Amino acid sequence: MIRLSNVSKDLGEFTLQGVTLEIDRGEYFMILGPTGSGKTILLETIAGIYRPDTGRVFINDRDVTDLPPRERSVGMVYQDYMLFPHLTVEQNIAFGLRWRSPRSGQNGRGVRELAGILGVDALLHRYPGTLSGGEQQRVAIARALVVEPDVLLMDEPLSALDTKTRERLRDELLRIHSLMKTTILHVTHGFDEAFLLGSRMAIMDRGKVVQVGEPIEVFRRPNSRFAAEFLGMGNLFKGDSVLTDGLSQIRIGTTELVSVVPLEGRVHASIRPEHILLSLDAIETSARNAFSGPIQKILDTGTILQITVDIGIDMTAALTRRSFEDMALSKGKTVHLSFKAADVHIFPAA
Amino acid sequence: MNRLSALKIVTIGLGFFLAAFIVSLLACVVTHTTPAALLHSLASGEIRFAIRMSLMTSVISTILCILVSVPASYALARYRFPGRTILNTILDAPLALPPLVAGVALLIFFGTTSLGKGLSDAGIRFVFTPQGIILAQFLVNMPFMFRILRATFHGINPRYEYVAQTLGATDAQAFWRVTLPMARNGLVAGAIITWCKGIGEFGAALMVAGATRMKTETLPISLYLNMSCGDLPMAIAAATILIALSITSLFLFEKYSGIARVF
Repeated sequence: MIRLSNVSKDLGEFTLQGVTLEIDRGEYFMILGPTGSGKTILLETIAGIYRPDTGRVFINDRDVTDLPPRERSVGMVYQDYMLFPHLTVEQNIAFGLRWRSPRSGQNGRGVRELAGILGVDALLHRYPGTLSGGEQQRVAIARALVVEPDVLLMDEPLSALDTKTRERLRDELLRIHSLMKTTILHVTHGFDEAFLLGSRMAIMDRGKVVQVGEPIEVFRRPNSRFAAEFLGMGNLFKGDSVLTDGLSQIRIGTTELVSVVPLEGRVHASIRPEHILLSLDAIETSARNAFSGPIQKILDTGTILQITVDIGIDMTAALTRRSFEDMALSKGKTVHLSFKAADVHIFPAA
Repeated sequence: MNRLSALKIVTIGLGFFLAAFIVSLLACVVTHTTPAALLHSLASGEIRFAIRMSLMTSVISTILCILVSVPASYALARYRFPGRTILNTILDAPLALPPLVAGVALLIFFGTTSLGKGLSDAGIRFVFTPQGIILAQFLVNMPFMFRILRATFHGINPRYEYVAQTLGATDAQAFWRVTLPMARNGLVAGAIITWCKGIGEFGAALMVAGATRMKTETLPISLYLNMSCGDLPMAIAAATILIALSITSLFLFEKYSGIARVF
């Protein structure tokens, strides 16, 4: 469990402003935010690298605000691995056991077991410089977990990896979490990661936590303009996908969407509002997704308007003010929506 | 690019000309006497004394430079504190100071102030002693060690230490087990250049320690003394050893200095 109560820290370039956050024991919690939003300094403040200017930090009900990092029982994993280059993989993983009293009785067992769990047991005698990015990050995770920390803090652990490696390690993280039951705080800027891994997530903006909730809730109901814009103003649905002729047909309630992403089973489907064409009459188009329904809601955000249409599900399209006025739209009016199968993004639902 | 351009010919030619100039200068010194005379001089008590004195003083002053520069450069690379900028400038200053001036300053400080006199009465004498040579080398060469190490520490991401600290290390243990080993190349490069400069140190040492035959006679002092009294073979012997040492350390420095830059 991690509890932050009104934590502020000013590092000049990066700040935290009155962050209050509660993460349950054993939870996989995601923090999402753009560069410079204070995600890393939040992690490093929890780790004890920085002492907050105001506020308190609790780990498992223990006030750790005034404790040095080594007494906090936290593990740290960075985007750039930070493996000690002068030590072998085995020595890197064993680093945290060096300061353990031999009587605690878990030396020796830990290194090989963790290396096995992370699949790096064949690399124990190599030096970090000779490993691939994915292998290095596995070693870094093993090194952090060997001391069995109460909390594992990960700062964009997958961002430096190529797509394939990232997907594989992402699945590994889920497996490790269910195996070790460690509380995990994972910082990312990728939505897919947040959805697949997090049971809950927080969105950060300029040193503040602006929204906390289950990923799908946050995505569907962003509570601020920042969150909405950052998340891409969500058309996000959960449904069942079946492959037909290489295309995915996703059934969401009574509505069926078509996507070019081949994927079967429970999926999330998302369509960006600006990819949806809104018209008064049905139009001939190559787009495979065409629907019609009454306007539910009109949200004015300045030059762009968000028009929500009931097509069985609530689908939001973005429209310029000019088009909006030309079409003389109003609530209840029936309109047509169409979008390409290539613009329907789907990814597996956890 | 295969065409012969005037610019290409002139610049490459100048490079070769400079190299030829340097090589002939060195060759001139080394071949000035006969090999027999050179060996005879090298075997003389005076040259052997000078070699021992040079090695002893330069090794000790290099160790002192390491002991002081490691913590000082780490502090200036890692921490933000009031007075940091001015401290950086002052610690670099001896680099720009003429060694003779540094030597005069040391002479006045340890020869005329009450602190210097007190130390002298307590048996710690720097004026006209080998200790003075060590002190002179330390003062003049410390900035080299300091600058190389500061750049080295600066180039090591502090997050390595953060990770070590979350794994149970104190900040001092994290420095000792992680940052210092990672600074190895910079440390070796700095030690080589500091030692090499120590071997060649003349001006500051001359002012503090004087040039006394068989007492404060390092290789450069020996070269100077023997030149002054016209004993060319002895002077050449000292010069030959200095050339050999510089070339060796230059190669070692090139090997280790990949990650450290002096300026």
